[in-house]
Amino acid sequence: MSKSLKLFGAVAGLLIVTGVPSFAQDVDAGKKVFRKCASCHAVGDNAKNKVGPQLNDVFGRTAGSLDGFKYSKSMKAAGADGLVWNDETVGKYLEKPKAYIKGTKMSFAGLKKDKDVENVIAYLKSFSGEATEEAEKPDNAAANEEKKPQTKVAAAPVADAPMADHGTYHLGRPALPEEIAAWDIDIRPDGQGLPAGSGTVARGGELFDEQCAVCHGSFGEGEGRWPVLAGGQGTLTDDRPVKTIGSYWPYLSTVFDYVKRAMPFGNAQSLSDDDVYALTAYLLYLNDIVTDEDFELSSDNFTEVRLPNEANFIDDNRQDEPQYAAGLEPCMSNCMPEPAKVTMHARVLDVTPEGEEDEGGAGAID
Amino acid sequence: MSDQSQDKTHPNKSRRSFLSGGVAVAGGVAASALGARAAVAATPDPLITEIQEWNQVLGDGVDAAPYGVPSEFEADVVRRDVPWLTADPISSINFTPIHQLDGIITPNGLCFERHHGGVAQIDPADHRLMINGLVDNPLVFTMQDLMRFPRENHVYFLECAANSGMEWRGSQLNGCQFTHGMVHNVMYTGIPLKLLLQEAGLKPNAAWLLPEGADASGMTRSVPLDKALDDCLVAFKMNGEALRPEQGYPIRLVVPGWEGNMWIKWLRRIEVGDQPWHHREETSKYTDLLANGKARRFTWAMDVKSVITSPSPQMPITHGRGHTVLTGLAWSGHGRIKRVDVSLDGGRNWQTARLDGPSLSKSLHRFYHEFNWDGSEMYLQSRAIDELGNVQPTKNELRAARGENSIYHNNGIQTWQVRTDGETENVEIS
Ligand code: HEC
Ligand code: HEC
Repeated sequence: MSKSLKLFGAVAGLLIVTGVPSFAQDVDAGKKVFRKCASCHAVGDNAKNKVGPQLNDVFGRTAGSLDGFKYSKSMKAAGADGLVWNDETVGKYLEKPKAYIKGTKMSFAGLKKDKDVENVIAYLKSFSGEATEEAEKPDNAAANEEKKPQTKVAAAPVADAPMADHGTYHLGRPALPEEIAAWDIDIRPDGQGLPAGSGTVARGGELFDEQCAVCHGSFGEGEGRWPVLAGGQGTLTDDRPVKTIGSYWPYLSTVFDYVKRAMPFGNAQSLSDDDVYALTAYLLYLNDIVTDEDFELSSDNFTEVRLPNEANFIDDNRQDEPQYAAGLEPCMSNCMPEPAKVTMHARVLDVTPEGEEDEGGAGAID
Repeated sequence: MSDQSQDKTHPNKSRRSFLSGGVAVAGGVAASALGARAAVAATPDPLITEIQEWNQVLGDGVDAAPYGVPSEFEADVVRRDVPWLTADPISSINFTPIHQLDGIITPNGLCFERHHGGVAQIDPADHRLMINGLVDNPLVFTMQDLMRFPRENHVYFLECAANSGMEWRGSQLNGCQFTHGMVHNVMYTGIPLKLLLQEAGLKPNAAWLLPEGADASGMTRSVPLDKALDDCLVAFKMNGEALRPEQGYPIRLVVPGWEGNMWIKWLRRIEVGDQPWHHREETSKYTDLLANGKARRFTWAMDVKSVITSPSPQMPITHGRGHTVLTGLAWSGHGRIKRVDVSLDGGRNWQTARLDGPSLSKSLHRFYHEFNWDGSEMYLQSRAIDELGNVQPTKNELRAARGENSIYHNNGIQTWQVRTDGETENVEIS
């Protein structure tokens, strides 16, 4: 969607809603603020639900009412009690989500600056109302036209195509170098697969604050239950070990590979190679593995960096444990001197789907 | 003890009479006798003496449901999740209702789900499978190409390595759906992976594979070539119909007996290499931290395991004293199950249970133990032994060998306490 159309939408929004603050709301500034939301929410053409519901036409929407999104009980209850999104209610929600709707599952700390709230509201309004709907149609059509021929390439076999001569069944066709390059992005500890590029800790810090901190916390400490990325050194033999890149991961290549293929969550493969180098450098910095903000990680020095826990991984030797010793005949009668006594009851008695959500951690499952 | 009549063979019936208002008056008498032993009917059962609606009025014709669904009385047989286990439902998990199932096959819609980037929805016409790396001919296959390879059918269990992972530090979740429900067992139709690799031609130094998913998590795992050439499949059907989207439609990797995370869903690429990749799911995750701070990696096989699915916390005994059926599941990633023993007294004395149904390698096995319950408290346990002679260990043996921080590969013996009223709870005993 073009900038002028967005502005038009915003103006239309301003006209509809009464009680708008007197100072100007800035759609472009709002678009920047929305980066904080974008990892969880989509707007615009073909916006889909991600971690959060898509936010097209959110103004006028009853809270928690979008079909196909699994809201928290409290958000649905708020909607049932008549909460409708408008300037005031969205504003209050964005200031302190958990205070405004107790039990909301939006794991977002809130926007501290009033100005940010107003601007992001202006930006969201450019995706609400009829003006935008009409404006988006041509875009949509164009996108579809572009997409169609792409999906047809090589899908339909040509009847009189020459028979391939590879393998046993001569099925499939040779993969083209461009195709392999597009999909083969994996990295190995020995550096195989690393693309050319570089990035500094300082640049990584900017990117991290913009695109990662909403979930992983400004210092990689993890907001709510989102994964912790830093700290935990020296805790691996504790009752509750904290396993992070610094305390646990054996190889730096894994960080590069994973961030490039899967992060930010909900917008995978959107980072440039330089961005991934910078973010990887910053994750080293958050874990005190490098201490210099000017440190630059690149394809040249990458394999020189070693993670502290590398030596502590061993191969599977479960079969050497005493309980699997060969020839053990299990006892069948009088196996214990005393009758059984209960030493522990289930901690979580009622694990119903609607059970209390903040029951407290039984520990990670993945 | 009342002598009120009750239908023990059709648990649904008592629930039905409980649900359907008018009849429930008479049914209510029976319901109040829960836990009682029944022998003689005091009053005639109106479900028999009165004509019921379904005896008289015509039901739906064919095609009322072009894709059939379970009876409305089975509405509680569903996958369930535990929301607080993960940060959000997209990278999360739910559990197979194994306590409500029987036999060895899991219905497709009840197979537990674990995704790392949500369920990818892929039109098979848009799906490609690439094989690249240390091969003579890097290839791209369409679904149509894949359908022209020879196929095989096999029943295999898939268990998440984190199944029972919450129970390392002691009993946590009250239901075998939650303690043991990250497992399912279906018949796959697929292409032996060996054939696809041979089609591309393996280079002499090929030793490892990196299968990769097409979803938003781009899931990858390193798989040793020997396993791929042995029994891995690229599957496109489960229980005869197309894979469900949440199970990787249109194709997934099948890695029999090995941890579920390796069974890459929405499989789009297989790279051949000479070393493992050490990706996130085999370093940060799916490595087993031991008490001494060392961590095991590449712990692929799922060890011998069993659980009693009924009675269990979600399946208490509601019929009172008398003849009862104890049943459960046993499986091993090393092969077939040779024997299952059950104990009613917390492991002091054991009896060998009856295995029933097909006994297939790396598949769930069903066991039964029928007995007369005298109404006293019980501590139920089951212990499986596989064809290699591996005996399912106790939880304390595992803790002694590994500590409590492993998360994965908890195959310890489960204890259910059945109280005199039939209520059943997840406990640990000594
Ligand atoms: C970490 C993920 C996350 C971030 C970041 C986030 N949200 Fe949300 N948002 C959610 C989730 C999840 C919900 C659903 C809440 C519920 O059901 O309780 C939600 C709900 C909402 C709703 C209510 C929508 C409806 O359909 O009822 C609005 C409006 C909203 N968010 C706006 C924003 C804006 C604007 C931002 C950025 C300033 C933002 N959110 C940042 C996850 C997020
Ligand atoms: C919307 C929330 C969100 C945002 C934003 C986000 N992540 Fe993540 N991150 C996650 C989730 C969820 C996981 C775990 C995914 C899974 O279960 O497979 C994760 C996992 C990770 C991990 C692996 C953690 C571990 O211990 O295995 C790293 C590293 C990571 N993220 C880095 C980043 C970086 C760098 C960014 C910014 C470019 C980012 N993330 C943005 C949610 C987020």
